[in-house]
Amino acid sequence: MSTVTRTQASQTDRPTPLTGAETLVSTLERVGVEHIFGLPGGCVLPLYDALYGSTSLRHILVRHEQGAGHAAQGYAAATGKVGVCMATSGPGATNLVTPLADANMDSVPMVAITGNVPSAAIGSDAFQEADIRSITMPVTKHSFLVTNPNEIAATVRSAFHLASTGRPGPVLVDVSKDALAALIDPANAVDVPMRGYHPVTVPPPEAIRDAVELMLSARQPVLYVGGGTIRAEAHREVLELAELTGIPVVTTLMARGAFPDSHPQHLGMPGMHGTVAAVASLQKSDLLICLGARFDDRVTGARDSFAPHAKVIHADIDESEIGKNRSVDVGLHGDAKITIAALISEFTHRISKGAAPDYNEWVDNCVRWKAKYPAGYDTPPDGSLAPQYVIERLGQIAGPDAIYTSGVGQHQMWASQYVKYERPRAWLNSGGLGTMGYAVPAAMGAKIGCPDSTVWAIDGDGCFQMTNQELATCAVEGIPIKVAIINNAALGMVRQWQTLFYAKRYSASHVDQMQVPDFVTLAQAYGCVGMRCDKPADVDSTIEAAMEINDQPVVVDFRVHQDAMVWPMVPSGTSNDAIQYARDLAPNFDDE
Amino acid sequence: MSRHALSVLVENNPGVLARVSVLFARRSFNIDHLVVGPTEDPKVSRMTIVVNVDAEQLHKVTSQLDKLIEVIHIEEIEDAAAIREKLWEINDNGPRPVGAMAAAWG
Repeated sequence: MSTVTRTQASQTDRPTPLTGAETLVSTLERVGVEHIFGLPGGCVLPLYDALYGSTSLRHILVRHEQGAGHAAQGYAAATGKVGVCMATSGPGATNLVTPLADANMDSVPMVAITGNVPSAAIGSDAFQEADIRSITMPVTKHSFLVTNPNEIAATVRSAFHLASTGRPGPVLVDVSKDALAALIDPANAVDVPMRGYHPVTVPPPEAIRDAVELMLSARQPVLYVGGGTIRAEAHREVLELAELTGIPVVTTLMARGAFPDSHPQHLGMPGMHGTVAAVASLQKSDLLICLGARFDDRVTGARDSFAPHAKVIHADIDESEIGKNRSVDVGLHGDAKITIAALISEFTHRISKGAAPDYNEWVDNCVRWKAKYPAGYDTPPDGSLAPQYVIERLGQIAGPDAIYTSGVGQHQMWASQYVKYERPRAWLNSGGLGTMGYAVPAAMGAKIGCPDSTVWAIDGDGCFQMTNQELATCAVEGIPIKVAIINNAALGMVRQWQTLFYAKRYSASHVDQMQVPDFVTLAQAYGCVGMRCDKPADVDSTIEAAMEINDQPVVVDFRVHQDAMVWPMVPSGTSNDAIQYARDLAPNFDDE
Repeated sequence: MSRHALSVLVENNPGVLARVSVLFARRSFNIDHLVVGPTEDPKVSRMTIVVNVDAEQLHKVTSQLDKLIEVIHIEEIEDAAAIREKLWEINDNGPRPVGAMAAAWG
């Protein structure tokens, strides 16, 4: 009996020393990580050896590190948790740069872990050496290089804290191979002080009062809702504020689903390919209430003529966004959920004290624009498939509970216009960086995070060919995503600009009409089901057939009409007032 | 446009100077003068950065700087004499390069 006790005591007193890699893995487990997307290589091998023994971490072996990065983004955007990706030194790490930059632009919480060459070799231009900490400085929230094994645990904890608090974003942790392999000394664990990092979440009450004062005196206010409201889980507060005030709502590309599309106050998406009602409401507004959006150039058009008569309330978790692109009348630096709740409470208080704002005439106007200029498209005269029709039917059949990811270009705009979003985290896309190739790996990550949801990647034929190798990952790892290729055998958005602004000189936008590769047999080669559809009459049955398959990834090659264009459109660099509802057709606001 | 001197306390980590200069380059702000020196706390360094910007840009540059995780504190040094004094203070063992900066402030 006493012997047993002694043995237990000695185990407690002197635990087996852990390596840096083992410490890293146990820290990941402790911060709640369940899934890692990655690809091993020489310098990160000690870490993969430690992962081999983990029972609670599932590692998904991707085919290209860019796929790991976008999968981590899709996972994070769909679940709200921190996405994790892993790669080796040099090219493994540089392949993560695009997803890191993408996550930085779209405020996606993500941690990338890379192995680096042994610390003695750093700076010697060693095999597979890249200074990834410096390379990623301008495209991450922060980047760490760790060469001391005793610093690994604290650094990883800090990385998760940074990624998930304040304005979410990507954090890189680069660890030298010798630090991964060395035994740590727990007694000498090194802390990572972050004396300069204190995210502000609660805006000052006087700013809330000033904001509500502006709201009460406005006649033509608009709630300009951005992706920050989704990251902050503030969609319920957005709905409550909108219904309390009756103010019309626009949702940016990153905020699609933050406010239900079916809601009568919703005017749609603003910006270059936004609805006429949303664009017009911003242009004619006297008060923009910007919640977690950042006056991106795709929303404002030419900035000097954007919303020329509007005062601005700008709520943002990132103080540097307030006043960056548009000067503000009231800045609300804080978390969107807390800020909007405070606005609701102050507005309610003022109403109870007798304030009676009158937005009726304005709301009537907005509703009239919405009815007069609905989203619409032409059916191709030759009986071929309209891409908008495919996407519209897909949205109706898969429904609002499905998750939709997209690549970048025409199909992305149509997917934002013709799928109806009723909930946050159902629409994942690369809004800021505009990364072609985002759709397939992001869908893979979303499906891992939300295995019970149907996940559709709506992709273009150009985008699809940038990252479709991850179909192999999906097939092998049992990740049954569905891919709708909107195949117009062209780089559609490039072609649209060339049609409109470059006299139809289709320089390098035409993909070979031979249809190489054949996407159906390509899908089959990757262990997926491949289907093709080129007639309007077959669209529903094809989508339904794809919906029936839940044990394998499915790829549908929708052969669509090449000349379809995205409308409405504000030509690049011009004023939002120049919006065209369809080609050479400007909306008429004067006949009211 | 006018001259502003920022006194910036940063974590004394490898790469912190690169991070600050990458930020200035990335946001198209021009650095007129830059001095880095130790403080009484060996874990903290002080950067004195002189920029020639208008008030709006100054606000932008400081709020971007403030976002850097390794930036602990930023304060604008109010007058030229103080700048000169601080410049001498941060590196009194190597006066010549700092002297040039101090001279720039009269």
